[in-house]
Amino acid sequence: MQAQRIKEVSSLSGQGLEELFVCLGCKICASVCPLNDCGLEVNPRDLLTALFLGEPLDTEAPLIEFCVGCYRCTEECPWGIRVPEVIRALRSVLGLESAFERAFRSSVGRYGRVRECYVILKTLPFLVKRGYGRYLVRWLEYVGLGGSKRSEM
Amino acid sequence: MELLYFPGCSLESSGKRLGKGLRRIMEMLRVRLKEVPDWNCCGASEYEERAQILALSRRNIEKARGLGDTLLAPCPACAKNLKEVAKDIEVVHPLDLPFSSYASLNIKRDLKGKVFTPFYGCLLLRPKETAIKNPYIMEEFVELLGGEVDGERVRNLCCGGAQLFREKEITRRLCERILGRSRGTILVFCPLCHMAIKTFSAGRSVAYFTDLLLYTLDEEV
Repeated sequence: MQAQRIKEVSSLSGQGLEELFVCLGCKICASVCPLNDCGLEVNPRDLLTALFLGEPLDTEAPLIEFCVGCYRCTEECPWGIRVPEVIRALRSVLGLESAFERAFRSSVGRYGRVRECYVILKTLPFLVKRGYGRYLVRWLEYVGLGGSKRSEM
Repeated sequence: MELLYFPGCSLESSGKRLGKGLRRIMEMLRVRLKEVPDWNCCGASEYEERAQILALSRRNIEKARGLGDTLLAPCPACAKNLKEVAKDIEVVHPLDLPFSSYASLNIKRDLKGKVFTPFYGCLLLRPKETAIKNPYIMEEFVELLGGEVDGERVRNLCCGGAQLFREKEITRRLCERILGRSRGTILVFCPLCHMAIKTFSAGRSVAYFTDLLLYTLDEEV
């Protein structure tokens, strides 16, 4: 089961097992991860190790939940391991995708493109429940209302 | 000169300002943009399977085949994804275009007395295989026109945009770090960075680099 999971993650992330197993454990990934600047304590190295050893993964681990996909870890990693792509694969395997990701893909499947109105309608319950209402006025310029022709210089 | 053009989903909706500004600048540079017919979404980073993202970009490159040699993709996510799969077509981001082409425009206003924080964020700089060629091009432009550059410490940080519709507290904290450690107008070239930083900017100016170019040319979007 665990061996199956690492294979699935490796395949979804587009990196062979041999590309992931080269991790040297240097933790430079953790030293640059922006989540550690947000008061969280994450360590991509520990996640990779848990995967290799087939240890149970904490599905609420902040790294899996909150990875911002910035590739700072990849840039610093001596082997260029694409941790963000491992995380995305894990979110899929563990069923942790967000309402937004599902709506995004549904729009691309249906229209070939992201139709933002469709995505907003699909995620409306999530947006309301999670308190996005307060940003709506600020976001009007993004739907072509308000916002000046002149730039903010 | 003619370039193939891949606007991407954002530039047709929430990033419309960037799309319009870019088209205006290209017109002034006498670059004709030929839109890739029937293009589809690049997948951004919203697919769990890398192969799916690559397949979406391959389809776009296939649609562009035979129509030109160089494809312009202004959205950093589109540019990254397309650069990953393009073989016989060169994919370029507007910031990859020769700096001299911008500097050759008829500049009517300088930037003296103004402060800017050029903010590149992630995908314009990382992964390195798909990064823009000159990671200081925005700074060079600001300095050329007498403006002051700030924000060296934040220019390559992450705005957390990918978490804006997942866990916005993360985005807020990352944006506040950027805002708190820099001065002046934040200059971006990514629709998601624009939206994320603007959401938490508390009135601080956030502008696309295209807005800055148009300002110096005394043009409107």
